[in-house]
Amino acid sequence: MNSENQGAYLEVENLVKWFGDDPAVDNISFGIPKGAFLTLLGPSGCGKTTTLMSVAGLHSIDSGRIRVGDVVYTSPKEGIFLPPEKRDIGMVFQSYAIWPHMTVTQNVAYPLEIRKVPQSEIDDRVADVLALVGLTDMAEKMATQLSGGQQQRASLARAIVAQPRLLLFDEPLSNLDLKLREQMRVELKRIQNEVGITSIYVTHDQSEALVMSDEIIVMSKGHIEQRGGPLEIYSRPVNEYVSNFIGVANLIKGRVVKVTEPGRGTVKITDHGKDIQVTCNLGPGISEGSDAVLSVRPENVHAERENGNGTSLEGEVLQAIFLGSHVDCRVQWGDFEWKVIAHPRARLKQGEKVYLRLDPEHTLAVQP
Amino acid sequence: MTTQSLPRTVERSLWANRLRALLTQENIITIIVSLIVGAAVILPLLTLFVSSFKVLDPLGWDTTWGFGNYVTLFTDRIIPKAFVNTLIISTGSTILATGLGVSLAWINARTNCPGRDYLEPYNLIPFFLSPFIGAIAWHNLGEPQTGLLNNLARDVFGIEGALMNIDTIWGVVWVTGIFFAPLVYLFVVGSLRRMDPSLEDSARTTGAGLWRTTMTVTLPLVMPGILSGAIIVFVTSAGEFGVPFKLSAPYGWETLTTQIFSKAVGDDANHFLGATMAMSLGIITVFLIWIQQRYIAPRSFTTVTGKGFRPNVLDLGKWRWLAFGYNLSFIFVAVILPIACLIIVSLHPVWTGKIIPEAMTFNNYVKTLFFWRPDAIQAATNGIVNSLILAFGGSTIAMVMALVVSYMIHRTKGFGVRLLDFLSVVPIGFPGIVLAMGVLVTYIQTPIYATLWILMLAYITRFFPYGQRNISAIMMAISEELDQSSRMAGASWFTTLWRITIPLLKPGIFAGWILLFIIFLRELSISIILFSTGTETLSVGVYYLTNFENEPLTAALSMAQTVVLLIAIYVFRRVAGREALTA
Repeated sequence: MNSENQGAYLEVENLVKWFGDDPAVDNISFGIPKGAFLTLLGPSGCGKTTTLMSVAGLHSIDSGRIRVGDVVYTSPKEGIFLPPEKRDIGMVFQSYAIWPHMTVTQNVAYPLEIRKVPQSEIDDRVADVLALVGLTDMAEKMATQLSGGQQQRASLARAIVAQPRLLLFDEPLSNLDLKLREQMRVELKRIQNEVGITSIYVTHDQSEALVMSDEIIVMSKGHIEQRGGPLEIYSRPVNEYVSNFIGVANLIKGRVVKVTEPGRGTVKITDHGKDIQVTCNLGPGISEGSDAVLSVRPENVHAERENGNGTSLEGEVLQAIFLGSHVDCRVQWGDFEWKVIAHPRARLKQGEKVYLRLDPEHTLAVQP
Repeated sequence: MTTQSLPRTVERSLWANRLRALLTQENIITIIVSLIVGAAVILPLLTLFVSSFKVLDPLGWDTTWGFGNYVTLFTDRIIPKAFVNTLIISTGSTILATGLGVSLAWINARTNCPGRDYLEPYNLIPFFLSPFIGAIAWHNLGEPQTGLLNNLARDVFGIEGALMNIDTIWGVVWVTGIFFAPLVYLFVVGSLRRMDPSLEDSARTTGAGLWRTTMTVTLPLVMPGILSGAIIVFVTSAGEFGVPFKLSAPYGWETLTTQIFSKAVGDDANHFLGATMAMSLGIITVFLIWIQQRYIAPRSFTTVTGKGFRPNVLDLGKWRWLAFGYNLSFIFVAVILPIACLIIVSLHPVWTGKIIPEAMTFNNYVKTLFFWRPDAIQAATNGIVNSLILAFGGSTIAMVMALVVSYMIHRTKGFGVRLLDFLSVVPIGFPGIVLAMGVLVTYIQTPIYATLWILMLAYITRFFPYGQRNISAIMMAISEELDQSSRMAGASWFTTLWRITIPLLKPGIFAGWILLFIIFLRELSISIILFSTGTETLSVGVYYLTNFENEPLTAALSMAQTVVLLIAIYVFRRVAGREALTA
């Protein structure tokens, strides 16, 4: 197919959208291959929903270009704005937006009726998709009789029934309770795999993003901070912001003193006026002499009673909360409070002196 | 990609693309409706303003520009008095209506008055009926010689002379006061019902008694509602034509509205002076409504801590029967007595003030309602047919407009939405007779003058905001995502409107439609300015009968109108539910 020669299936180029005097989305570009599941992750106001709405055509954009396959959706420069109904997109909304005056079947059949699919085929396809989302028994219920989770499934069924080019999710799980949310994550991902429709998923929940996505784009203030697979984003964040936003990290300000080989070096941090040098991996854009932030995940900090190789940081246990599989510790080190995950066998006690050993393989210096 | 090197053909298709992107169903409908609403609202007011500076020369041939009309307002023999009378009537009826409305609302919302759930619909009936017909009924009850009550007082109680004389300025205060009491009631009852009961409870725990708690806590909390209601009553009374026309104008108490009427169609017609009077009235009312909308209405929400309260009602003890009796008396005086009187009068060939059972006949109904018979009275016949056309057609068109306007205000963010929002509030500030004067001077030389269209235009312009409010209330409660998900499912803007938005708004649309149907069916103060032979409306028919025929015939047509209105009120209650009007 022609579109595959042009690389990405969905391509967003230099998207800019202003709300009043503030740029909600400030010149972002990305592309995704056909069938992929991309998550836009960030706190509220970071521009993720605005980006999604721009792709959906639910609002106009100020400049840039959005293309799916060979169809240009929006391009102000070329004067193109395809209305939302002509974009062939399925969308799952935060409020589910299941029409209360229709039954589940009527809701799900709606996109097919609009596309003038023959009635017999509509019946078959609606039955298939309801089976896929597990709502076969609810087919004739009014939408208002469904629970939150069931409305969510109905909304998904309606979004995928017409096998659209693109599937958009706008924080679809945020109104569900925790247990249901965890269950629906897996379910959603399974269904998306099964139908294989290219998807963009918007969320502020990092664990949701890590579980479901092929790729994640972390956004803040209308910019893309980092793009990558879940493992990459988690283990190799490019800057302090991403490191802080995804998972839990100990972030200590320091300065790069030496680059020993590409991607590795030493960073100087200060403890009680005494400089300590830490060997670590270096993130992109980190060079000798530059300011950096050391990012260490709590599970990569080892709290020990002896200063094994003499390079550990000496601290005092502030708090040790036993959580069964692990112990959640806070260790005071100078003015800094380390978050440490320790093994229950270590039996750390409050007030005890400990030595924190950092694993050079899992210690990363990133841009502030 | 570089734009500089684009060839001419691409350049042209760029503009074609841009144009195509702009010409969506949504934009086209939006522009059309904005233009219609803008023209309908602004044109008559503008023309009214301009006309008020045209001074007619004494011969009535030519006009010159100037402030002459405004000078006449002060130097005329009648107009200054009419102005004072209007002020007296508005103030008096506001006091009466506020007293009645607040006390009735309090009894119904906050006390254990027996049967209060059954009383409420009847308390609201006067709101829907025609005050003009109320005036006709009360004329037949309280006229010194032929008034039913005066005759009963003489015959049964042996009272000399007359018990009362309703045909005075105080009679106007009385009838407008009791007919507009439900307006205050509606403004107050909602917030009383939603009020957090703990506010009152905490006052009680400090040792304040029932009376003191009500006066120092309950009423101050609903003060914005009371003030809103009072302002609306003041404005509505100032713009009321039918009641002073029937009860006070013939006996020497002219008002601004009766004066505008005589300048519009009377023997001393002077449209420009009429326009000037309408302008003056309009400036006063629009100022008061602006105060209400800008400063008072927004506050009414701050007193309420949210819905979902089931306020515990106050136990009035044995006084609850007094409250019950008080409420029953209101319903008796405002609804039962006038309607009973109209029925009695309508059954007599001539009305002398005495009930004569053996003389009773349905002949008056035959002459006014049986329009297919040759002896039917033409004005009544025309009135019935025209009012039905206007009520069915007008409310349908108005609701379509209301729907599109509400949609634009709540669902589009584009240019002109704020203007449209403003335009859909403006007509509420102008009494019907003022707007009608504007429509008259605007369209008098166009072909729509003397047709039903001019009436339809004025009705819709004046009243579509009421329909729009009914829809807006629901639209604000419905998530926009319900519309958006339809667009994403592939449906066009219009299909979405038809299959998703309208079905969801159905209750609001229907309630609004019936409300407008009721308003249009009884409308007098616009019709009286704009009608001509052949385009009489129902209320104009009643006006014709009371002016040129006799009271029994008038009563018969009045009853017919009242019965249709009562049926419509019943349907409205069924579809709209209790809170529909209080928003």
